Parts: sequence; structure tokens; C-alpha cells
Amino acid sequence: MYVYRIMLFLVFGGYLLSPLLMDGWSNPSVAWYRPFAIWGVLISLTLWLEQKRKLDER
Amino acid sequence: MSVELIGVLLLGIGYLALLFGCGTAVERGWVPASVTRHPMVYTLALGVYASAWAIYGSVELAAHAGFGYLAYYLGAAGTFLLAPVLLVPIQRITRTYQLASLADLFAFRFRSRWAGTLVTLISLVAVLPLLGIQVQTLSDAIHWLTGSPYSSSAALLFCGLIAVFAVVFGARPNHSRQDPLISILAFESLIKLFTMLCLGAVALWLVFDGPQDLQRWLEGPGLPAQQATPQLEAAQWRTLLLLFFASALMMPHLFHITFAENLSRHTLLQASWALPLFLLLMALPVPLIWWAAQSVNNEIPVAAYAVYMMSEHWWVKALAFIAGLAAASGTMIMISLALSGMVLNHIVLVARPPEARSDLYGWLLWLRRALVVGVIVSGWLFYEGVGRHHDLANLGMTSFVGMAQCLPGMLALLYWPGANRKGMVVGLIAGVAVWLWGLWLPLIFSLPTPPLPFTHLSPSDAPSWYTVTLLSLATNIVLLIVISLFTRISEGERSAAEACSVDAVIRSKRLPLEAATAADFSIHLAQAIGDEAAQREVSRALSALKLTPQERRPYALRRLRDRIQANLSGLMGPSVARDIVDRYLPYRHDDAPVTDDIHFVESRLEAYRSRLTGLARELDGLRRHHRQTLAYLPVGLCVFGDDKELLMWNQALSQLSGISGESVIGSRCDSLPAPWPDLLGNVLLATHTPLYKQAVTLHGKDYFLTLHKAELSGHDSRGGSVILVEDHTEMKWLEDELVHAARLASIGQLAAGVAHEIGNPITGISSLAQNLRYDTQDPALLETADQIQQLTQRVTKIVNSLVGFAHGGRHAGPPPDSPVALTTISEDALHLIHLARSGEDVTLTNACPDGIVVRGDAQRLTQVMVNLLSNARDACMPDGQVVITAGREAGSAWWRVSDNGQGIDPRVRDHLFEPFTTTKPAGEGTGLGLSLAYQIISEHQGRIEVASPPPHESRGTAITLWLPLYQQDDQQPHAQDSDC
Repeated sequence: MYVYRIMLFLVFGGYLLSPLLMDGWSNPSVAWYRPFAIWGVLISLTLWLEQKRKLDER
Repeated sequence: MSVELIGVLLLGIGYLALLFGCGTAVERGWVPASVTRHPMVYTLALGVYASAWAIYGSVELAAHAGFGYLAYYLGAAGTFLLAPVLLVPIQRITRTYQLASLADLFAFRFRSRWAGTLVTLISLVAVLPLLGIQVQTLSDAIHWLTGSPYSSSAALLFCGLIAVFAVVFGARPNHSRQDPLISILAFESLIKLFTMLCLGAVALWLVFDGPQDLQRWLEGPGLPAQQATPQLEAAQWRTLLLLFFASALMMPHLFHITFAENLSRHTLLQASWALPLFLLLMALPVPLIWWAAQSVNNEIPVAAYAVYMMSEHWWVKALAFIAGLAAASGTMIMISLALSGMVLNHIVLVARPPEARSDLYGWLLWLRRALVVGVIVSGWLFYEGVGRHHDLANLGMTSFVGMAQCLPGMLALLYWPGANRKGMVVGLIAGVAVWLWGLWLPLIFSLPTPPLPFTHLSPSDAPSWYTVTLLSLATNIVLLIVISLFTRISEGERSAAEACSVDAVIRSKRLPLEAATAADFSIHLAQAIGDEAAQREVSRALSALKLTPQERRPYALRRLRDRIQANLSGLMGPSVARDIVDRYLPYRHDDAPVTDDIHFVESRLEAYRSRLTGLARELDGLRRHHRQTLAYLPVGLCVFGDDKELLMWNQALSQLSGISGESVIGSRCDSLPAPWPDLLGNVLLATHTPLYKQAVTLHGKDYFLTLHKAELSGHDSRGGSVILVEDHTEMKWLEDELVHAARLASIGQLAAGVAHEIGNPITGISSLAQNLRYDTQDPALLETADQIQQLTQRVTKIVNSLVGFAHGGRHAGPPPDSPVALTTISEDALHLIHLARSGEDVTLTNACPDGIVVRGDAQRLTQVMVNLLSNARDACMPDGQVVITAGREAGSAWWRVSDNGQGIDPRVRDHLFEPFTTTKPAGEGTGLGLSLAYQIISEHQGRIEVASPPPHESRGTAITLWLPLYQQDDQQPHAQDSDC
């Protein structure tokens, strides 16, 4: 069975830490768009990995 | 009917008409295929995940759980972010085996039609609340816009239109492309995105005065309201995230669009970032809408529809309605299509298997269309009976928790080959029972949450969905693991588990089929599905595999069977397809050994090559290297399995036999083209190899092949035999020529011996003639004695030439340096050539001028000239001319033999001086003459030039020998060597 150790680590780590995303709702010191910014970074990372995969497969 | 209601109806119908036009444009090819089949279109079509919940339900969840509403988007985003390890393996299985639904996948993996039926029933029950949400949002939106009491009827009207739409563009003949549907879903996703972004912009810049104003409101007047918003516990958030993660994978409509609509792997991987981006943009306006509505209203009666309260502008409400209608219609279309397929394959066809009827496709199509309409109507009925009494969150959570019960089975399917049917079914039933008891029945009958075991372990104020989710999934998982560990897994399940596991390379077995040819398939299959459907399915499979109906190779027939099963699976589901194929296209179970289908495994590995990483990639590289070594081996090689099925046929053997590997790999030895069955069959049966120089005729020519065999045995071996086929035709010819040359050499030696023996009596005769001259004065006798002496001198000369020629081939030592007159040598050679009886009608002329003396060995040069003259004479027609000429040029002498014969065959011109090169029939020429001439001239530090035809001539050949001139400060020119 494949065990993508780093991916599993990141997925479970992200899953366990994800409640931090909810903190900003009632806290005016945190910008309301913070969860979206974090999400955007994650998408950018995935996009980069996808481009890298495409290059690897050429 | 109020004006507002008419306006809303017109707006909705107008939107659906626009969709209809869009679908028609795609169907009729008015939109270029490069657009409709663009990966981004498929990715946008996946946006069907954003149902009416995304438009209204998320606002409600944001009102009740703050940023907890993000779980709906982040869960699905997580599913697609994990596409390489989660979605791509599922896609591989579903595409290989044509599995169109979750029920198909479960039925295939757990080898049970009842597993598929169970999953279908659970999907039906679980998805009804979600379907109800779509109808409810339509009805409620109409009510919010118009205040009309007929909103439910208006929703029914829209449901009817959506059902027509699904029937026209979704439930289509089985083999037609689904481009219109995909394009429509993509268009709807664009509409949803556009309207939501517009609504977000309205909230930010129309209701508020920009981002800074919003921040001021959040820190000021809005702060108490935000602080009053209950926050999800971390554990609840994680559970919610897990539910939405599962729903993106398990919901029938999402499974259908992700895996059954022909999305390529590349598209799916592109969606791994594009869909999360789409969801991010869809989620962004949600809090803005809620805050905007809060900022202009002190109290919002139903949070889900806050969008209708944030602005009084009619176009804002219209945008919100269109967003909801786009989301609801897309979801309803896909749910109805996915569920209708599942119900058809796993309930209807299981209860009533298809008969051999002429209109099978039409029957299945109309059945499916009826089910599409039935599913949409049941959604409306659910809303009417149950949904309208509950809020969106309650309905949605019931649905999502229900579908999440399939998650343990799905993960086991991918990652745990040890999971078995009993474990999956018991776990699933137990989990669903908890869900039905804890959420679904209370929803249907509007009851309070009933008592559940272990609820004291969770907080007392925890919502029921949270408790039920934990309890049902824990029960499900524990039972799945425990029962799978303690019960046996069947052989069929084991092979399906191997096929489904993430790192699987499917290892099919080499079993023979009852059907002998591809054409037999139609006859056998017609008993199950009728003549027309059988022929169509077989033709379709043959076409996909690029095979002909005459195909007989066992390997090809097995692939054909697999393809037909996969195609029937797409038509009727895997259970029915497997039953039909097992019954009507069975394998033959004889005593033949059963081994892995290595060629199939290799073709799979080739297909997966780009996906291998790390050690697997290195090993695959090594495998390819070894395979190429065998494929490009300059000796013919073929490999047979123990069942005499051909597994490999390399390039050298393809060239030798004129048979391509692709056309014969997978054949039995006895079905290969002649003469290979006898030839290879003999080797396979032989106990001792090699079999030397087996005479065969290949493409009209005689060949002599030597065959070696090695048995493939050993601990890890899959058995079989490897056969090397060496082409020894040339070697056989060379051997024959050598025997011929040796025979000629023996004759030559004999002739030299005879000549030597003749010399003594000739000397005696000459002496007697000399004595006769001294003993008589009779003029007549003296003349006779002179004639006898002249004749004996002539005989002596001939004998000397013959002996000299015989000794000429044995030369070793320093380069020859005796003076040799070319005219004399030419004359000697002509003497010898005249001894032969052949070619008497060819005129041989010595036109060498006197005085041209070269440095060399007279005997060996005579040998060269004899060879050249012999070739020239043989090349001439009767009355042909052969002329010897010579001359001086630039310190060298040239010595030329010209003829007006047929010239040199272009095929041998490039290797004229190689040994055994001849164009004469076997036994007439050794092919050594010119080779010897080349060698002798090289030893004389000379060179040979060949012109065929010579310059300014239309035919004939001129061979010119260049030799070093003899320097006059040495000996006298050669007159007559006497070595005899």
C-alpha cells in the first residue's frame, strides 16, 4: 500500500489545526479575510505542485 | 396570480430557456469542440457541488456558526486537493471497469450485487433531504420575492422543467457524448460564480461603503452581533469538515460528474487547484452578504435568505434568485441522473434481469428517463411532506451524515485489500441504522433526538448531527475492521481488491475462452441481450481494441471479453454485466496451467509509467531496459508460456519471419502462420536442443534456422520457455562453398602432381627426339624430331604453367621483387585459360605491348590474370571479346582486362572482393577468385580499379591492376620461371 507520509502528515496536521481558521469571526483584531488568504496560499501551493508534476511527466 | 409571481416565473423560465439554448447550441456543434471539451469546462462542471446550500444554506450556517460555514467549501476543496492520491485511483478503477456510480464501485469491489443495491438504497434515502433542499430553496425564494401562497406550485413547475431538461440532455442513448450536459453545468457554475460575486460586491460597495467601512462596522456596531454568534467547537468543526470531505466524494451526483463523465486524469488533476479556487470565490461573498443583511436589518427571520434583505433593489433579489435557481437546477439534474442510473442498475435490473429483446437500448433508455422524472418528483414530494417543516441546515446535515456512512467502505476499497464483503455490509448497515435512528427518522416524523448509546461521552449541548456522526462512523469502522479480520475473503473479492487497491497492477490470468473467435462472441452474447445489442456491443469493443471479427488470439479474446464486460457495466451496472459475461462468455477450465497474463501486465505498466515515482520508477526503468535488450537482440527470440501462448516475439524474429509481434503475441503456438507452428512446436517438445539448421521456406526463400530452447523455471518464475532462432542460412551456404573450394583445391593438387609426373616422360621423349636428330640424316625424320621437340616444349610449358599456378596460392614472406614482363604473364594466363573447355567461342586477345616490366611474383600474377580472364570470359556472351592491355603511367604500370560482357551485378559490387562473393550458380564458382586477386595485388603494393561499365562504354567491365614498375638496375626480366 502506498503511504504518502509527508502528504498524510500535512493532511492530518492541517485537519487538526484547521479550527484556527474560525477564530477571526468575532475577533476584530483579526482581518475578516484571513481564512481566505490562508486558503489562497494553499491553492497556490497546489497549483505549483501541479505545474511541477506536468513538467515531470513530460 | 400576482404580477410579481408572473415576473419571477418568467425570469426562471427565461433562465431555463437560456440553458436549453446553450445545450442545443453545443449539441448541434455551434460551439467549437475545442471550447466544450476544454479541461476548464469540465472543471467548472464540477462546480455542481455548489448546490442551493452554497447560496442559501451557507449563509444560514455562517449565521449559526461563523466561519464554520467554510467547512462546506474546505471539505470539498480538501477532497480535490488530495486528487492524486484519492480521486485519480478511483478514476482509474471506474474508467477501466466502466463503473458509473458508487454502487457500481462497491458491487465491483465486494463482488456482490447486494452491496450495490444496499449502497443505492442508502443513497436514495440520504439524498432525498438534499433534493428537498433544492426544491425548498426554490419555493422559499419565490415566496420571499413575491409573497405568493403558490410558491410550492411554482417550484413544482420548475421541477417539471428541470426534469424535462434532465431527460433531454442527460438521459440520452448510452453511447452518445455528454458534451451538452457538461457544458450546461459549466455554464451554470459560471452563472453561480458571477451572481455570487455580484452579490458580494453589492454587499461590500452598495450596502457598506467599501472594505474599510465594513471593517469599521465589524469593530463597531456589528461587533456585538458577531460576538453573539455561536462558534463551533474544534471537534465539531473537524467533524463537519470530515462530513463535507466525504460528501464531495460520496454524493451520487458528484461521483457521477467526477468519475462517469469522461474527465481525463489531467482534467482531474487540474481540478485539484481550480475547483478549490472556484469554491473560494463562491465562499468569499457569504459573510459579506450576512453582514450586509445584519447591517440594514435589526432582525432577520430566516438567516438562509438574508440575501433578499440586504438590499431593496429588485435586481439584487433577481440575482439572488438566479443564483439559487442555477445551483438548484444543476444539482437536481445531476442527482436525478446519477440516482436513476443507480436504481436502474442495482434495483430494477437486479430484480428483473434484461431479456434477449430487440430494443434493449430503447427499453433501458425509457426506463432511465422514467426514473429521472421519478427522482425529481420524489424530491418535490419530500419537500412537501417533510422539508418545509425543517431548516436547511437540519436537512443538509441529515443528508451529509447519511452519505458519509459509505466513507469507511470507500477508504477500505482503496487502501485495505483485506476488507471483505461481510465486514463492509455489516459495518454499513450498523452505521446507517444509527443514522436512521438518530437523524433521519426524527427528521421524517419531526421527533426529538432519541436516546443513543455512548452519548454521555460527548458534551451534553452537542448537536445531534455531531453525536450521530461520531457514533455511526465509529460503529461502521469498528465492525468493518473486526469482521473483515475474522472472516474469510473470497477469491473473487481478493482479485477485485487487488484491482482496486491504489498500488495495484491488475494481474489477470491466462485462461482460455469457450468462444474461439471474436465472431463467436456475438452468437453467445445474443442469448442474453438479443442479436442487435450483442452485435453492437461486440463491434464497439472490437473497434475500441482495434481488432477484427476474425481474431483468434487468446490474449485478444480475453481483452475483448474484458472490454465487453466493462461496456455492459456502463449500460447495466457491474453486477448484471458480470453475470451476463460469466454465463455467456465463460472461460474454459481445462487442465492447462494458469499463469499471469504477463503481456497484459506489461501493457498496463507502460500505461502507468508516468505515474510511477521513486523506487517503482527505477525498477520500471530497469524492466524497460531488460525488455529492450530482448526486443532489440540481433538474434530472433520468442517466449512461450506453459500453456504455449506466445508472450514475446522480438524485432529480429519479426524481420526474419516477416510477422510483426503485435499480430501474433497472445496467440497459441499452433495458430501461428506456417511454418512456425511445426518449427517452434518441435523445439518446445524437444528434450535436447539446439536443433541445428532446420530447413524452412520463408517468403519464398530457403532458410536454415538453428533453434535453442531454455525452460524458464525457478522459485520466482512464472514458467514457460524462451527460444532463440538463429539464421544460419549464410553459414550453411558458406559451408557448402568451402566444401566445393576444398574439392577444387584437391583437384588442383592432383593436377599439379599429374603435371609433375608427366614432366619426366616428356623430358624422356624430348631427349629421345634429340637423339633421333643425332642418329639420322633423313630430312623427314629430322623434321619429325623437330616437331616432337616443339610439341614436348609446348607440353612442358603448359605443365610448368600449371604447376606454377598450383604453387602460386601458397605465399608467405617478403613482398615479391622479381622483374615480371606483363606481356609474358598475359600469354601464360591465356595458355592456361585455353585449357578450359568452356567459353571457347569467346575471343581472348593479348594486346600488351612488350617492355612493360613490373616488380612481382610471376606465378602469383599469372594466377591473378587467370582469375580475371576466367571471370571476363564467363561474363561474355558467345562471340564476346576479352582484351588484355597494359601501359605505364606516373611511375606505375597498369594492366587491364576488358570485356564486353553483361557487367557486374550491382548487388555484389560493394563487396566484390569479399570471399565467397559470386553470382554464378552453386558449384560453378567458389567466390574466391577476386578475393585472392585483391590479396595478391595488395601484397605487390598495387591496387585494383573496377569500372562496370567502363567509361564511354554501354556495357562490359574493365578491371585495372596498378603495379609498381621494375627498376632497371636489377635482374633481367622474367622470361620463363621453371619451378617444376
